[in-house]
This record gives sequence, C-alpha cells and structure tokens, in this order.
Amino acid sequence: MHVPVRIGPAEAKLIEQLGSRGAAAAAERLAQSGLPTRKVESYHYTDLKMLLRTVPELASAEKALSEPVFRVPGAHRIPMTNGIADLDGTEPAGVRAGTTKGSALTERDDVLVRLNAALAAETLRLDVEGTVGTVLHIDRRTEGDAGHMNDSVHLFVADGARATVIETFSGSDEGHLSNHASFVALGAGVELTHILLDLSGAGATSFATAEYQIGAGAKLRTVTIHVGSALSRINLFARFAGEGAHADITGLNLATEGQHSDITLEVSHNVPRCSSKPLFKQVARGRSKAVFQGKIVVAPNAQKTDAKLMMQGLMLSDEAEILSKPELEIFADDVVCGHGSTVGALDEDSMFYLMSRGIPQAEAESMLVRGFLEEVLDPIADEQLHDALESVVEKWLST
Amino acid sequence: MTTPMLEIRNLHARIAEREILRGVNLTVPAGEVHAIMGRNGSGKSTLSYVLAGKADYEITEGEVLLDGEDILALDPSERAAKGLFLAFQYPIEIPGVATMTFLKAAMNAQLKARGQAEMTTPDFMRAVKEAGQSLHIDSDMLKRALNVGFSGGEKKRAEILQMALLAPKMCVLDETDSGLDIDALKIVSDGVNALRGPGRSMLVITHYQRLLNHIVPDVVHVFSDGRVVESGGKELALELESKGYAGFDEAAA
Ligand SMILES: Nc1ncnc2c1ncn2[C@@H]1O[C@H](COP(=O)(O)OP(=O)(O)OP(=O)(O)O)[C@@H](O)[C@H]1O
Ligand SMILES: [Mg+2]
Repeated sequence: MHVPVRIGPAEAKLIEQLGSRGAAAAAERLAQSGLPTRKVESYHYTDLKMLLRTVPELASAEKALSEPVFRVPGAHRIPMTNGIADLDGTEPAGVRAGTTKGSALTERDDVLVRLNAALAAETLRLDVEGTVGTVLHIDRRTEGDAGHMNDSVHLFVADGARATVIETFSGSDEGHLSNHASFVALGAGVELTHILLDLSGAGATSFATAEYQIGAGAKLRTVTIHVGSALSRINLFARFAGEGAHADITGLNLATEGQHSDITLEVSHNVPRCSSKPLFKQVARGRSKAVFQGKIVVAPNAQKTDAKLMMQGLMLSDEAEILSKPELEIFADDVVCGHGSTVGALDEDSMFYLMSRGIPQAEAESMLVRGFLEEVLDPIADEQLHDALESVVEKWLST
Repeated sequence: MTTPMLEIRNLHARIAEREILRGVNLTVPAGEVHAIMGRNGSGKSTLSYVLAGKADYEITEGEVLLDGEDILALDPSERAAKGLFLAFQYPIEIPGVATMTFLKAAMNAQLKARGQAEMTTPDFMRAVKEAGQSLHIDSDMLKRALNVGFSGGEKKRAEILQMALLAPKMCVLDETDSGLDIDALKIVSDGVNALRGPGRSMLVITHYQRLLNHIVPDVVHVFSDGRVVESGGKELALELESKGYAGFDEAAA
C-alpha cells in the first residue's frame, strides 16, 4: 500500500505551478511521492525535501537588464533571459539558431527533468556544422523579482563538426530558483568542448540537467563548474551512441560557506569500443558540502569499453564536507573499468616549501588550490576561454 | 662587536615526544661560510627545518637570531622575507604549479614584504635567464611544474637557482651536493661561490669533504646527537674523513 507523503510548502507550490501549466500527470506524481529524500538513492546526499524550503512564483518573460557577470573575449554571446533566447541573426558561420516548443530533455525518472519538461516553454536550438572557430557562449539568466525559471537548450552538432560551447547560469536575485536543461547531441566524428558554469547568486537555488548523446568516433570534453548558488544539483547523463568515441567528462565543484553543491553523473556505455575518463575535483571551505556521485554503466554488448572515474577532494576547513560516491555497473566481460577517489587537506610539506620562499600563507594556499584544479582547466584549448575560467577560480579563491 | 648573521643559542626542539635538537650553539658571522658535518640522523636537517620555521617541531628552549633579530615567532614566509633561505635536502614536487609562476610569486612576495616595487615581467625573465645559464639549467625545465619530473641533480640546481634569484643574506644548504654528478657539483659550487660576499653568510650541511674543496668553509662544525660537539678550521673535515665520527662521540657524551 502506498502511504501518501506529507507535502511541504515548496512541494505544494510546485504542484500548483505544474497544475497551472496543465501538467496534470507531473503534478499528480509529485503529490504522490513528494520531493526526493535521502531514501532515494540518487538524492541520498541531497535531500531536496529538506533542503528546498520555498519555491518562488513562476518567472515571467523579462528583458535582460543586468550586465553579464561573465564574458569570454572574442566569443559569440547569445543572451537567454528567463527561458527566451535573444537571437539577432549574427551567429557565426556554421551556426543556425532557432526555437522549438517545450523542453529538450528526454524522459527520465528524475524530478528536475519532469519539472523542466512541464515548465520550460521553449527550447533554444543551435545547429552547428563544420569548424566553428568562435567560442559560443549561451548566457542563461534569470532576471526580475525572485522567480522560478525553467529554460532549455538543444545543441545539435553535425557529423564532423568542431566547436566550443559554454553555457553560464546567473541571475539578478538571490531568491531565484532556476532549473536548466541542456541536450547535447554529437554526430559522428565531432570534436566538442562543452562547458557548464554556474555563477548564480550566493543565495540562489540552481538546478541543471545536461544530457550528452555521443556519436561514433566523436571526441567530447565537458567541464562542469559550480561556483555560485547556495543549493545546487547538476545531473549529467552521457550516453555513447556510436562506436569508437571518447569522452573526457570533467568538473570542478567549488563549495564555500553555506553552500550545498551536488554534481551527479551517469555515463552509459551502450556500444562497444568507447572510452570515458570522468575526472571531478571538489574543493570545500567554511561550512559547506560538496557532493559528487559518479556512475558508469556498461551494457552487455559494450565490449572493449575503457572507463576510468577519478574523484579528488580538497578540504580547506574542518567544517566542510566532501562526499564522493563511485559506482560501476558492468555487464560486459571484455572491458577495462576502474575508479579512484582521494580526499585530503592541503599538503603541509608543499605549503612549507612555498612559504619558505617567502610566499605568504594565503597566497601559497591559493597557488596549491589552483594547482590542484589546473588538471581540469588546462586541456581547454581556447586560450581566452581558459583564462576567463581561471579568473573565475581565482576570484573564488580570493573572496 | 658586529652582529653575527646567525646566532643559535641553546636550541632544543622535539618532534613526536622525541628531542632531536639538544642544545645547539652556533654562530655564523656576516660574510662567512660554515660547514656542518655529522652522522645520518644526528639532526642536521631538523636544524635546517627549525631555522626555516617548519611547523612540525616544538621548540622547548633557546633562541635563533637572524642579523640580531629573534625569528622563532615568525612564520616561514616572514623568515624568508627577512633573508633566510633553505636549500632543501629533498625539494618538494608540486604538480599544477608552474616553475616560472612560482619563481615570480616568490620574488615579488619578498620584494613586497620589504616594501619594494614588484619586478616587471621582462626584468624577471632576464634575471631567470641569466641565473639559469650560469647554472646550466635547461629553459625547458623551467616550463614544467615545480620540481615535477626533475632528476635529483636538476632539483638541486633548481634550489640554487632560487637562491640566486632571491638573494638571501643567510643561506642554509642541506646536502646540496648529494645526487650531483662531478660536473654538476662543480657548476653548483661555482654558483654558490659566486654568491659569497660580505653581506651573505652560509651554513653548508654535507657528508663529504669533496664539496668543501669547492666551497671552502671558514669554519667546520661537527654535529652529533642534536648538538655541535666540535668546531674548527677546514682541516677538521679532513680529520673526519680519515677518522670517522667515532672520535667525536665522546665529546658529545
Ligand atoms: N616526524 C618525526 N618523528 C619522529 N622522529 C623524527 C621525525 N622526523 C625526524 N625524526 C628523527 O629525527 C632524527 C634526525 O633526523 P634528521 O633528518 O634531522 O637527520 P640528519 O642529520 O639530517 O640525517 P641525514 O644525514 O641522513 O640527512 C632522526 O633520527 C629521525 O628519524
Ligand atoms: Mg638530513
């Protein structure tokens, strides 16, 4: 027998919002089960029922008023405000932009996916062909009074194309709740660098789900970076759809005083001869919690899979918490799969060495943290993008 | 009387409940080079770490004066800014930190601490290039992460490069000769000798008299069981070489 759960104010608001958008099934589902608690395995470390206290009114269409909080010199920036892309027809050669109705995500048993599917009004669709030398920056913002905003992007990278795309999340108000969706499809032989950067306000709530579908022989590098938002959960789903592809799925989860930030990854090896190298680094300071869960699933026919999951954590205070959970589900026999995990404080001998050369403690710490994170940022080929991301990290370290 | 560059008075230090330094007395006047020789485990590196301010040790007694100023309350970076430099017996590898970035940060931090203007990038590059050339340091090596993948000898040369760039007034060299081939020993010794001068003192820890043929010391100290048990001229090193440490143990007892 199903015992109905107690519905809190955040859930009640979400149910009402789903109802108002005609998503009866999703509303019913949420009323039945409520937001996921620690009993739901994939939300074990991020009990949304407990952590999400209030939900603001649904955000309405707004013009982008604030200045972008992040710019990449030389990039083509596409502003997207409260779910509506501002397309001016100046996209670089090889890029077509348009919109479609609804969310870009595929159906999944996840509350954030269901909310986005029901509440995102339209999707920005970008079609990329050939070699695009200009970095594409999708500047996704939540503007206006505190609002609950769902937006969606569909990035379709045609066979043989090469591109670098960064999506940033930011907003005007600390009370915002944003729930972003990205669907990234890579054709055969594509080379794509895709970056997600959460720069939401320190008090905001930011959710995101990114799905990657990776074609034959493609090379994907993803970098997911959390800096802003008090409560954050980022779902990453990567699925190999063609043989001989490789994915470096990487990320930096930076958590500071008062933040709870969760990145949860699932990589599905559904076809033979693909390799994936997830590498996630977490840094936590003050009273904060950084969570990374990484799961690699290898299907029975995905022979010759090569998958290695690495998670490394750096604790900068005693009150900080770093949680990481690896999971391998392997149904094929001829594969190489593994995972490794380390968590520690800054190395004292390294600190002493740097300080013995006259570098003051705070600067020595920040050099070591940057050194720790460099492995993730270093492979970003576009120099201006790399430097812009370095300065985000630098700023995080100095505040 | 002029102020000595380094004065260590009755220094006692312990780690993990064990007393390693047991009353070190040592004075290095300005401009002099002193050598310390002593058995493995006698506490020479401990002394160098305690001088540089490594936090692991508990100082239970004694004083360390650098140019007349008590430095025991200062952190390692403050001691460095006051002109103390330790060339490590085992330099630390730091992945992710580029050697050049590190060198620049160190030089500028010290200039800043002394209230001097920071170096411009071209001036810095020139200084590194010059110092690197005289120590036969391959410029590709400096493009790598700090000490990462450097051979034993390369690490030691990099220590002396740092010393040359930071121009300290009190240099402590902990077994800088170990791991160096014959040519490298000459190059490094020449580098060290080039830094000798009236305003700069050195404390050279070594096991081998050979180094002292290149870097000729003013005074040699014998270290045993956590203290200086004998001091003398450079001929003391030769005596040690032929007799071993046994003859000096009684002095310690
Ligand atoms: N963390 C520690 N805990 C306990 N004992 C220690 C610790 N560190 C050093 N020691 C001990 O202190 C003693 C002195 O060590 P130190 O490294 O100073 O010797 P040393 O004279 O430099 O020797 P070597 O010539 O081999 O370099 C040794 O017996 C060593 O085992
Ligand atoms: Mg030693």
